[in-house]
Amino acid sequence: MRRDGNTRSSSLLVLGWFVVAALLAITGGMARAQPAAPGPVDLELGKKLYRANCAGCHKWHGNGGGGYGGDALSLRHTTLDRDQVITTIGCGRPGTGMPYHLRDAYEGDEKKCYGLGQKDLSPGMVLAANAFLRPGEIGVIADYVLARVKGRGEPGYDDCLEFFGAGSRVCNIFKSPVEGGPAAAPPGK
Amino acid sequence: MISFRNRLLGGCAAVLIALGFAAGGALAADVTQERLLNADQEAGNWILHHKDFSAHRYATLDQINAGTVKNLKVAWTVQLGGIEGGGIWSHGGLEGTPLAEDGFLYVTDGWGSVYKIDTHGGEGKLVWKMDPKTDHDWAGAIACCGVDNRGVALWGDMVVSHTLDGRLVATDKESGKVLWQRQIANPDKGEVVTGAPLVVKGMAITGVAGAEYGIRGWIAATDLKTHAEVWRTYTIPAKGEPGSDTWKDDHNAAANGGGSTWVTGSYDPSTNTIVWGVGNPGPDWDSAYRPGDNLYTDSSLAVDADTGRIKWHFQHTPNDPYDYDSVAENVLADVNGPHGAMKIALEADRNGIGYAVDRTTGKFIWATPFVKKLTWTKGVNPETGKPMEYDASKGQQIYNPEATPTRTNKVTIICPGNMGGKNWPPTAYNPKLQTWYIPVIESCNRVTVEETVPGKSYKSREFFTGGGPSNPIKITGSVTAIDAATGKITGKFETPFPMLGGLLATPDLVFAGQPDGHVMALDAKSLAKLWDFNTGGGVSAPPMTFSVDGKQYIALLVGQGGAWDKWFVDGTPELKKIAPSSTLYVFGL
Repeated sequence: MRRDGNTRSSSLLVLGWFVVAALLAITGGMARAQPAAPGPVDLELGKKLYRANCAGCHKWHGNGGGGYGGDALSLRHTTLDRDQVITTIGCGRPGTGMPYHLRDAYEGDEKKCYGLGQKDLSPGMVLAANAFLRPGEIGVIADYVLARVKGRGEPGYDDCLEFFGAGSRVCNIFKSPVEGGPAAAPPGK
Repeated sequence: MISFRNRLLGGCAAVLIALGFAAGGALAADVTQERLLNADQEAGNWILHHKDFSAHRYATLDQINAGTVKNLKVAWTVQLGGIEGGGIWSHGGLEGTPLAEDGFLYVTDGWGSVYKIDTHGGEGKLVWKMDPKTDHDWAGAIACCGVDNRGVALWGDMVVSHTLDGRLVATDKESGKVLWQRQIANPDKGEVVTGAPLVVKGMAITGVAGAEYGIRGWIAATDLKTHAEVWRTYTIPAKGEPGSDTWKDDHNAAANGGGSTWVTGSYDPSTNTIVWGVGNPGPDWDSAYRPGDNLYTDSSLAVDADTGRIKWHFQHTPNDPYDYDSVAENVLADVNGPHGAMKIALEADRNGIGYAVDRTTGKFIWATPFVKKLTWTKGVNPETGKPMEYDASKGQQIYNPEATPTRTNKVTIICPGNMGGKNWPPTAYNPKLQTWYIPVIESCNRVTVEETVPGKSYKSREFFTGGGPSNPIKITGSVTAIDAATGKITGKFETPFPMLGGLLATPDLVFAGQPDGHVMALDAKSLAKLWDFNTGGGVSAPPMTFSVDGKQYIALLVGQGGAWDKWFVDGTPELKKIAPSSTLYVFGL
């Protein structure tokens, strides 16, 4: 039984995030080589990218919460502005399950994320996303989050339909809350 | 005098009979209970999900053996579909076990399409495809762990299958036309179905997934003749039923108590008992929300096949704070050892410990940790089978305090990680060697607890987990062999990646696949690797074997399935380069 190492690494990770959070407060997160705010906002592309890269953990509605994707924060309740959302997507949140989506976030001498480079991070302290995003794509996702997610109340039927579209029963739950028992059998062949 | 024509016909008949014996099965016969009871005798066929009712996944075919396996090569492949995404998933995957009957394979893709493939003549020819038109977003948005379907069952002249959106579908074996279908599970309640049906005495037994979405789990039996439900046994007892007193809260936590049943179980005809694994309680990591042992979560459950009445249970992790479910198949074996002859049920639990219990009573026999690193408990009490730290007087169990996620120990590293140990990929059992092979995930991961609030945290179709995992620590795997009579580990073959696909045993080999695409054959006694082939795609499905035209083949679905590439790949970053795919591989000498 080897327990000490686990506890120690867990504690270090928590401690590490506090350090990073302090750095974030001081430095403002990602150095300001931010994607420029686009002209017309492409919300459909933003939704597509959000669905592919974010919805697993933050859920389709952005409210986050527990799940196999970790304990993701609510984007509906977030107070982050566009730059901060971009920083969080690009750099991740060290010590948590939020991965970085910029391929070179912690590479090179620039230390563009929280003033940190690979050498400053213990193994596993910050996780790489399954798929990296271009800076422009990160900006489009941020625009989608600000326009369609942030500040909205509890998700409802219209939100669901807006996200998934018609043609599926995925939003029916908002119209007909379930009671006990399985749904009625559909017609056979 | 016998004419040349008659002699020719007689010769052909002799050849056919010989081939029939080689194939080991009656030709084009309906599948009956009698055939299923003797499925292990149909050497060339594979007509039950786990090969036989005992879930041995052991085939007696031996053309491919320790001496010849080095010559094994790809015989043919068939590209399948179902790779598209839906809900929160970017792609479907393959986790199914093909069934084989008289040279025809029946396989599924993740969205529940069924494919019949003719394997005669040394190639695979698609006969038909049945697409059940699964509602991708309805089901995919609440499938915790991927777009998966683990295979079909055969009964009469039907192919019986499930869909992720909760239907049982009967398809005509010859034509591929849907004969009838029935809604079994309700995705509006967070229920989906990923397991293969088990057909017992003309009933299709269905298990359900959704503990991460606050379901109340069940096992259900559907009469395949009348299409009516025969029984439905809930894995979380209702108020007043035996076991309900193990839910000691004051806010009816049992109503969303989990207890999924998404892995196909086994059947003991000698006692007419179905043995089925039950998953974790919900919320997964906030055990303070549901004080008590939380029966029958994390248990092996034995039920009467005719009525669904619970006969016995054995619980592995009471008041589970880890997501250490026990959905795994129970392997039924008759063993001889130091304790004499025993009829046992073997279960390799997600908590990293393999258990043997008396399969007629559920009485504990032995337990053996099969992972290299196990931190959540000091071990198992040899008298009771409970974790050493278990205290029946306490509502919330604190096993190793440093490795128990709680509201005060909110960020914790646990070993094994919440995926196990051993997950759904099935074990295999060689009855000649009395050796049980476990596909192991050698892992630790980090769990963060989020407090669950009665009346507020549960919402239909929303994750109800009380926190979540992350995976900053490298994860590997192994094939671990255990003497079923004694519980002693007899070998461990370590693998660079977790075992996500399950095993096949033959008289002197064990076959396995890895999520990086490699398929391998190990020596059954030494576990030495004798053969390896890179399929080029992720393997998340168990290998099986069959024979046709007098020749033995190994079949395997290739196409990364499950939750690994979405939720757990940080523990195996090398796997990020594996692309989704959907292919049936068949190997021959």
